[in-house]
Amino acid sequence: MDLTEVLLRGGASRPHVLIATMPGGTAVRLAVEEGVRRRGWPVAMTPADADVLFVAGRVTVDFDELLEEVWRGMPAPRDRVHTVDPDEVSGLLGIARSGLMDRTRQQSLAALSMGDTDRLQRQGKPHGATASEETKPDPADLDHASDESSDHDGHGHDMGGMEMPAGLPMADRAEDRDGLKLDQLHVPFGPIMPDWPTGLVVHLTLQGDVIQDSHIEAIGAGAGSFWTEPWQRSAVGERVSTAEGARRRAGARLDSLGRFLAVAGWDDAATMARRLRDDALGGTQGPQLKAGLERLSRRVARSRTLGLLTRGLGEMTADEPIPASVSSRAPRLEGDVVHRYRRWCTDLTDMVARLDDGSPLDAATLEPPRNPLDVGDEPSASLFDVLPRLLDGAELGSARLIVASVDPDLDQRPARIQASHGR
Amino acid sequence: MVASAPLWSALLVPVVLLGFTVAALAVDAMLAARVAGRRMSVAVALGPLAEVPRLLVGQRRTTRAPDALLWRLGLLTVPVAGVLAAVVIPFGHVTASRMDVGVVWFNAMEVLTWAGLWMAGWGPNSALSMVGGYRFVAQGLAYELPLMFALIATATGAQSLSVADIVAAQTQLWFAAWMPVAFVVYLASVYAFSFLGPFDYPAGRDLAGGVLGELSGIDRLVVRAGQWLLLTAGAAMSVPLFLGGGNGPLLPAWLWSTVKTLAVLGVLVWGRRRLPTIRADRYVEAAWVVLIPLTIAQVFVPALVVLRR
Repeated sequence: MDLTEVLLRGGASRPHVLIATMPGGTAVRLAVEEGVRRRGWPVAMTPADADVLFVAGRVTVDFDELLEEVWRGMPAPRDRVHTVDPDEVSGLLGIARSGLMDRTRQQSLAALSMGDTDRLQRQGKPHGATASEETKPDPADLDHASDESSDHDGHGHDMGGMEMPAGLPMADRAEDRDGLKLDQLHVPFGPIMPDWPTGLVVHLTLQGDVIQDSHIEAIGAGAGSFWTEPWQRSAVGERVSTAEGARRRAGARLDSLGRFLAVAGWDDAATMARRLRDDALGGTQGPQLKAGLERLSRRVARSRTLGLLTRGLGEMTADEPIPASVSSRAPRLEGDVVHRYRRWCTDLTDMVARLDDGSPLDAATLEPPRNPLDVGDEPSASLFDVLPRLLDGAELGSARLIVASVDPDLDQRPARIQASHGR
Repeated sequence: MVASAPLWSALLVPVVLLGFTVAALAVDAMLAARVAGRRMSVAVALGPLAEVPRLLVGQRRTTRAPDALLWRLGLLTVPVAGVLAAVVIPFGHVTASRMDVGVVWFNAMEVLTWAGLWMAGWGPNSALSMVGGYRFVAQGLAYELPLMFALIATATGAQSLSVADIVAAQTQLWFAAWMPVAFVVYLASVYAFSFLGPFDYPAGRDLAGGVLGELSGIDRLVVRAGQWLLLTAGAAMSVPLFLGGGNGPLLPAWLWSTVKTLAVLGVLVWGRRRLPTIRADRYVEAAWVVLIPLTIAQVFVPALVVLRR
């Protein structure tokens, strides 16, 4: 065994995993998050820091290009795995890990510069073929690829003869809120990013660190929500217990809290929320969960620091005209970020008593975490209308806190793709 | 008394510093494992060390139209500043450099990271990295003045800028005992200049890693190691500044230094998990309105004591 192999082996003992959740892939995502937590593997924040790309759920056409882009941005050694079945996750994590240790495979991946590998992926290989797929560079194809890319990188002839660095366009300018002409920067957030709603893309227009305008896009929305699934089954006549509903709802709150706390940089509390989420969904007995749930919700709701840091962000006043699409039964949004996460905490403690309740699920007494089914509206879709209003004028540093405090579930949206503008 | 060691001992500084850093990482890994509900083991404690082979063998990533020189130079500044800052820290009764202005040197090295991180943020030509770099400057504006006043308090108490004199002035009473505000502000600043824990805003999750976002391979290793070296150097420096250096009963001086350094490191590593990220835009106000007046008041205490002597 030579040095490279020793290093590959050592590095693969704790790979960083980037999870790309596809629409409707929540169940797989939860399994990956749990598997990664149990193994002590870190979750990668960006492609640059990722060793394994885990694609959770069925890949839709819209995501093809996006996934390639993420894969291109990942440095070797790297691997990618994909599944639609939560039960396969554990095995695939192991396969990905041995893929990272496979020297021949990694060298062939590294031999290609990071911009070219996507061509191999496109050549007849089905998406997300598991780690065992063997990729060999095809010299002819590589030449072609580099020709193409040098064309791309050529200095911009279309820029009126002006030399632009690397062919990048100049920033455009516009008046800011005080009427000063300032550079505008367009920064997209999402859709493949940890702690971020599946399929959501927020296009931000920044001036300095103030969000001037936000434009929201949903990719592949409406695939069917994991969080309302027991209610759906109950609606078609299947026997579902209250306990199952309560656990799903507590799980949804804990998932949202986990994301929010992670974005707020409170990793320990986020890990605790996710651990409780996995336990609640996994069927741990209610009395055993009770202490943990109450402790977490108390700790988060009472944290003065978290309150001070998020107070006044994303404020929605109660008398603000609420879009017609928001029903009276939609999750309440009034208040600022602090109000919203405290409401999750209260809801969590409310669920504690029902975690082992065997009576049949009744949507009138226990509502689904997000979408009341009997009315034809889509609360998350309406949150979606609200989001740009909360973001416009906010500072960049608070953008993700605001999105996390609303945590829209795009899987609930009707399938039509709809874009909305702020203001 | 603190004596100067031969010149070659400067080479030992990074080795000792690295040793303490590994200990800090091991404690951190065990705390993380406990929260995640994993069983403790030696393998878990040494888990973070897997980053070394992982990043050594990892490809270096580059971005479109980067300012490569500025970028790499900025990255390199972080660990270099950590090691250079540690040169003036006495270990037991020996020090690699018995400089007359040790406190100023330490402060200057730590300020190097301002430039370093700003360059590291600017270099990759990526919006989120740049915002991360600027965030460090904003954070610097908040923590630097309180930190300087905290350092001035110790220097005033000893009537010297030399770290050896500061240790000598604490033979009867630790500065931590009668300068508690300076001590706490100093410890908070250690998080700030190593951008870890509650002060990881420049590398925040809300920016997808900010200044670290575009880094892979050796580049990432250099900065991540640098962060922890800075944290360790900061913890080690708190011992001569506030906790009486190597002085103590029974045990030899080097052992006292080790014990005290590990204790401070333990507190810092534990504390970093207790709080969410403190956003600089909110913290600047608190720093200027509360911490600066408090630390100035703190400087008055040793100033008056020294005048009355």
